[in-house]
Amino acid sequence: MKSYLELKNIDKSFKTENGRKTALKNINLQLKQNEFLTILGPSGCGKSTLLKIIAGFIKADQGQLLKNNKRLDGAGLDRIMLFQDFEQLFSWQKVIDNVAFAVKAAAKNEKKNLTKAQIKKKAQKYLSEVKLEDYQNYYPHQLSGGMKQRAALARTLAAEGEIMLMDEPFGSVDSQTRQELQRLLVKLWQEEARTIIFVTHDIREAVFLSERIVLMQNEPGEILEIVENKLPRPRRRSSGEFNQLFEQLQSRLES
Amino acid sequence: MKNKYWQRLLWVVFLALIWQLTALSGAFSKMIFPGLDQIFLALIESFKDGTLIKQIGFSLSIIIQGLFLAAAAALILALTAYFSTAAAGLIDTLTALAHPLPGIALMPLILIWFGSGRTAILIVIIHSVLWPLILNLSTGFNSIPEIYTLIAKNYRLNKFEFMYKILIPASLPYFISGLKIAWARSWRALISAEMLFGAINSLGGLGWYIFQKRVFFDLPGVFAGIIVIIVIGVTVEDFIFKKLEAKTVKKWGMLK
Repeated sequence: MKSYLELKNIDKSFKTENGRKTALKNINLQLKQNEFLTILGPSGCGKSTLLKIIAGFIKADQGQLLKNNKRLDGAGLDRIMLFQDFEQLFSWQKVIDNVAFAVKAAAKNEKKNLTKAQIKKKAQKYLSEVKLEDYQNYYPHQLSGGMKQRAALARTLAAEGEIMLMDEPFGSVDSQTRQELQRLLVKLWQEEARTIIFVTHDIREAVFLSERIVLMQNEPGEILEIVENKLPRPRRRSSGEFNQLFEQLQSRLES
Repeated sequence: MKNKYWQRLLWVVFLALIWQLTALSGAFSKMIFPGLDQIFLALIESFKDGTLIKQIGFSLSIIIQGLFLAAAAALILALTAYFSTAAAGLIDTLTALAHPLPGIALMPLILIWFGSGRTAILIVIIHSVLWPLILNLSTGFNSIPEIYTLIAKNYRLNKFEFMYKILIPASLPYFISGLKIAWARSWRALISAEMLFGAINSLGGLGWYIFQKRVFFDLPGVFAGIIVIIVIGVTVEDFIFKKLEAKTVKKWGMLK
């Protein structure tokens, strides 16, 4: 496997009141381009910390982060994060302007000059990809939780980074909306060339979404196992093989 | 909402009625307790001969100038404090020392340093506005969600872009509530400063206007001035700031 994104011997510890606590220990991981990977583990296993290290928000104590064999330093538009928190949308901007924010940032990053009309057109394109074209002039507080996350997803897409990092983005919506968002995300991933690293503690979500599942355990945060997920798409949650993989993962996490 | 205004109006009418009945009863001399009819006559008279309009113009122009200058200075100082820890220490200390100091305590000093003109009044206003605004702005800047600083990093915003795209709009509720406090404080400071500093070519603002009326024992005139001060205060607080909030933070769902 030709590795595209590579994490080598990542260690991270934090200072707490009871001395240093190891959050991540010796994390090694390789991703192919356009892969959909989930990181699955209980809360406190360091999966969000790992994602923040990949995003460049925090630095690892040890180890390297490489893209195409080049060291990555700091945060950038090539690794855009989608958060769980509804607050990630700018409440003072209409939905379309929230998306245009990313379009402008991406254009500036690539030193391209876009006209206002071009920016708007691009933002509308991404809004229609998440089926929010009719809500472009709404303010975030006027949207439901699921719609907010779709708007945030549109903004993330509009940054046009190759890698998208997702930190339990559907963790705060009801289960029906959640499944709808998962289907949408898979569809978008199939249509566009993007690499996705998706953090979750929901086993079914990992089984539904990704091609590989990284199982993590806590104290210290370590990779337990990396499981291939070759279930054919579209995946059906009621199918026998879906549930078989679910149970396999569950028992592995419990052990 | 509408209902609240009607209710308020009703009470104002009720209080005015009691006032008028008391005045008519003859329990007090008309010299010291004028009826509403006399007050309104004085009000109309002063509007007609243009003195009141000029004084209102003087007071409003000076307070708007003061608010504008202080808001700009507060914004610059609070931003500096946000981005530089060293400056934050200094600005924090200055604010802590100057904020509790009533503007009126500075007046003797201002009188000696700057005389009694427009500049002196302006300085009193700026003092009464600057510190609460800095406090509010700093609180606003420091309470924006952490997620916004991560987004700024992620989308590679420079400091300047972060400032005007995220930091300032995200803390606008704090800025507006700071402005409300600033307005209330400066309006009070203005009236007292005008009384103390007196007139320049008989133009000394509303504070000076009522002070002068007292000298001539023109009580209806004093009340006319007080009514104008109340009306302006209520208008700004209940209408201008409400409108500003409705167009921004309320519309954005940042304020319920």
